[in-house]
Amino acid sequence: MTAAPVAPAKPVVPREEDPRNPRRRLTALFDEGSLELITAEDDSGMLAGIGRIEGATSVAFCSDATIQGGAMGKAGCQVILTAYERALAEGAPVLGLWHSGGARLREGVVSLHAVGEVFAIMTRASGKVPQISVVLGPAAGGAAYGPALTDVVILGPEGRVFVTGPDVVRSVTGEDVDSLRLGGPEPHGRRSGVVHVVTDTQEAAYTEARRLAALLGDQREIGEVEDRDLSDFLPESAKRAYDVHPIVESLLDEATSLELHPKWAPNVTTTLGRLGGRTVGVIANNPLRLGGCLDSASAEKAARFVRMCDAFGVPMVVVVDVPGYLPGVGQEWDGVVRRGAKLLHAFAEATVPRVTLVTRKAYGGAYIAMNSRSLGATKVFAWPGAEVAVMGAVAAVRILHRRRLAELAADVRGEVEVELAAEHEQLAGGVARAQEIGVVDEMIEPAHTRSAIAAAIAAAPQTRGNHGNIPL
Amino acid sequence: MAEEIRAEMVANVWKVVVAEGDAVSAGDTLVILESMKMEIPVLVETPGTVSALHVAEGDVVQEGDVLAVIE
Repeated sequence: MTAAPVAPAKPVVPREEDPRNPRRRLTALFDEGSLELITAEDDSGMLAGIGRIEGATSVAFCSDATIQGGAMGKAGCQVILTAYERALAEGAPVLGLWHSGGARLREGVVSLHAVGEVFAIMTRASGKVPQISVVLGPAAGGAAYGPALTDVVILGPEGRVFVTGPDVVRSVTGEDVDSLRLGGPEPHGRRSGVVHVVTDTQEAAYTEARRLAALLGDQREIGEVEDRDLSDFLPESAKRAYDVHPIVESLLDEATSLELHPKWAPNVTTTLGRLGGRTVGVIANNPLRLGGCLDSASAEKAARFVRMCDAFGVPMVVVVDVPGYLPGVGQEWDGVVRRGAKLLHAFAEATVPRVTLVTRKAYGGAYIAMNSRSLGATKVFAWPGAEVAVMGAVAAVRILHRRRLAELAADVRGEVEVELAAEHEQLAGGVARAQEIGVVDEMIEPAHTRSAIAAAIAAAPQTRGNHGNIPL
Repeated sequence: MAEEIRAEMVANVWKVVVAEGDAVSAGDTLVILESMKMEIPVLVETPGTVSALHVAEGDVVQEGDVLAVIE
């Protein structure tokens, strides 16, 4: 994992005033005046400190991009180990500010060994304390896999993440690509899923990191919840797709939502926020994209989020409106069976309170995957008119009554289909039937949804999963 | 800069809402696709003018097909 050589820009300003000075960067991250360095300001290429973020104790380290482009040697890696040991001892979030070409070439295998030790401690800390990475400049080789092992990766406007930089790519494969297209916001925010949050400015990158540290590190107790009608966001036609974001944002306390992976696999949304002041994670199908179908990428994205929430004891709300798994050769070859299984596994193993809300429909295998009763949901709510079924009623009767329908004249077939569908719905699809079987606990009104979910979370034992958060 | 709007999945083109030359802003509906027994609007992400429209109502589109170009 040798780093790509990233040419260090020669500082034209004194080190003290260089915007890449790690002490300046750490100071900008923490609450004003709270930073206390825990390692020496030397030529190790790394600096660590402890301080407060929104009042809560947090630990952070930062690459020193003013020395050899922030390359990581034995001493620099020791700084990261010190930061992690402190964070683990304090039970505090640990944040990494990255701007590094990777392992120090000059140190040879010694630096590779040291970088490996960083990976090992990150894995040991996984699921124990929240780990947040902010990529401020190029992060290559070992400096790419460091952030990738953590829970959340934020990419600032100058941030680039790649295993090997454009020069190496060019010399080895002949591909001509710049660092933006290789590892910038577009490829990692939209295509690869490497990055959870993309920001337009460096300040915004710090702000989002601080919000995340507070959401994961300072979760608080659930308190008073004000109700509001969430049905306004559903279209009148049950067939019409819609954007789920307004529902998720209204479900959460005002201006608390922080969406992870907004542009990658957008057919499912994964959002942290607060409900009655307490941190919760919301997983929601988004019908506007791919009709809200689950597919291989969205199942994997949701599975990782579920496991992160479970590991840190963050209760989950699962908002379901799903027509099924996306059919097709592309999906099968993409491993929708293997990657879809991750979501089943993630929910089934989760021990945090997790409440499901079926807003319109939950069909087939995707019904099971979206935190169904059988996977151990704490509570399953449904809005009036919601449908829980193997498939839509019309589609079902077309299969069940194929011969009978085929024998009918075309002009009456539609009518009979509708009749049979209504009958079938009574038998198999409505909320009443789902309640009878026990897969839906309660029908609730959209106007009382927030308080019902909050009460269900508050009533459940506040537990947390005992596992790491492998970057699925 | 031209932006190609592509189909995310196999679908029927149920309704075409805009015409070539129309000015559109973010959030506007370009076409409504029909797939998975749902009507799925395709929305504008960045404002501009519809410089080309590649589909008509009743067409079947495959994943990745260009629906429209916005400049």
